[in-house]
Amino acid sequence: MSARQLSPSFEQQRALILHRPHVTVDAIVRQLTQIGMAAELFWPDLPPNLEVGGYGAIFFDVDLGHDEQFPWPAGEAPIPAIALIGSEAPGRIAWAIRRGADAQLLKPITGGGIYSAVLIAREAFDRRRALSANVAALKARLDLREPLAQATALLMVAENISPKAAYDRLRRQAMAERLPIEALATRLLEAQRDQGRRHDRA
Amino acid sequence: MQAAAEQVAIGVLFSTTGPYASLGREGYFGAMMAIAEINAARSHPFTLAAVTRDPHGNIEAYAGLCREIIDGSGAQFVVGCTTSWSRKEVIPVLEKTGTHLWYPCPYEGFEGNEHVVYVGACPNQHILPLLEHVLPRFGGDPMLLGSNYIWGWETNRIARECVERHGGTVKAERFLPLGDTDVVHLIEEVRRKRPDFILNTLIGPSSQAFVEAYWQLAQDEPTFAAEKRPIISCNWTENEIAVLGEKATGHLGISPYFQSIATPDNAAFLATANRLAPEQRHVSAFFVQAYVAVHMIADGIAATGTTDSGRVLAHAQATSFAAPFGALRIHGDTNHAILAPRIGRARADGVFDLVSRIETPIIPDPYLARADEPAAGRRVGHLQVVK
Repeated sequence: MSARQLSPSFEQQRALILHRPHVTVDAIVRQLTQIGMAAELFWPDLPPNLEVGGYGAIFFDVDLGHDEQFPWPAGEAPIPAIALIGSEAPGRIAWAIRRGADAQLLKPITGGGIYSAVLIAREAFDRRRALSANVAALKARLDLREPLAQATALLMVAENISPKAAYDRLRRQAMAERLPIEALATRLLEAQRDQGRRHDRA
Repeated sequence: MQAAAEQVAIGVLFSTTGPYASLGREGYFGAMMAIAEINAARSHPFTLAAVTRDPHGNIEAYAGLCREIIDGSGAQFVVGCTTSWSRKEVIPVLEKTGTHLWYPCPYEGFEGNEHVVYVGACPNQHILPLLEHVLPRFGGDPMLLGSNYIWGWETNRIARECVERHGGTVKAERFLPLGDTDVVHLIEEVRRKRPDFILNTLIGPSSQAFVEAYWQLAQDEPTFAAEKRPIISCNWTENEIAVLGEKATGHLGISPYFQSIATPDNAAFLATANRLAPEQRHVSAFFVQAYVAVHMIADGIAATGTTDSGRVLAHAQATSFAAPFGALRIHGDTNHAILAPRIGRARADGVFDLVSRIETPIIPDPYLARADEPAAGRRVGHLQVVK
């Protein structure tokens, strides 16, 4: 939650509820109405072709829940997910964790809890998504360690300069071209290979 | 239980002693006045039996005393609580027993429990319309003061958001411990920073000390006169203003009810209050909302023929009640009152001159889910009194 947006508005957002018809669902719908979210109920399964773009959160039942209800793999909920827990049996909680709950509510739900659960789940979800994006980007850069080492070595030999000077030159050029240094290194190596092939043909 | 039974128990749970006793007493006497009035009028086929408990402002006592009222008398309705903290304490008891609390005070919002009926204003009915009135008239750069608990924190937070959205700057935000009256450093900061106005969510003795010291400052430096840089508040009471006398003159407040409302209904109400609650020299919204809550409960019992508190609430959601401040109905989605607040300017005798009236009632939005719209955008049409 950003500092500028202290009273978050959920208007125009919908929430999914995956729970059999029950007074707990009535209480959730009532509270969602108060915070400006429209609710859509599904049971026993979510539609396989569900378009999740318009939904701000999903509430899912842990007591009777199972993986086949969801059109997405465990742990990959594409929206903030809130577990509705009745039985606190460790097996059920383990399943809720495996599904990737961003927040949880204990049943019975009566007069409160939805607003804070949605806010906490949204924050946890945003963090989860930012973290995966960061990890993916770092992994991609790790994969390019070898090309970077090769490009540095190439420059050292071609220009007869120190490892530090070679690396600095790569870094400066990458900055000038607004490229990640690994991308520049890969390009240099490809150019070198092309040149090599032309020499071979000549 | 049939309403034809002779007596219907009704809980009255206010702290008439302790740190916020003056507000608790308003609620207590307002509820008791309505009960006396209903019993004397014999207009309903039952009488109300008040079951009173006084937690003395001790937060730990509320849940137990609420339980005692319900278990001991079978009361399905409790009128009571002043602070949000005490309201949150009794909610588990209400949920367990299927009963309802009619809560008669303005509060900071962010709640909408099915077992609570919120008769007072929530933020889109108090702080937001008050700022809409003040910002264009006095300027956008206020100072925010509050007592160090949830009412001050949340109300000031909402105010900051509203001020910044209007392009203004909060010059300072300060909190005093409950009951603290050492305001010298606050006044010094006011003098240095010259805010366009001061939002005061201080309560009780802290508020009184600050208003007095600010008046003294204005005597020395006329730029701090109330008509130039007013103190504004959503929780003034007429009694508090009367005690401050000329020192409060000119400052601004907002409330669905002010004693000065010039209607035949309010004149009749004040005459009755003078007779039945002579302890209260002045009455404020805290008094009137407790009074109204008891009447709405009694009307609901009479109309539905039961003491089922859920059905009585449903009646209040479907029917307008003729309150001393106008037609009043409870909003079905949120259990909060639909209210048309008024803005008043304090006079030395404790009365507020009405300076502005929001003509059409504002639908309560306790979670500020529709905060992008001005409070004025959330109106319902003119309410018809069905009586």
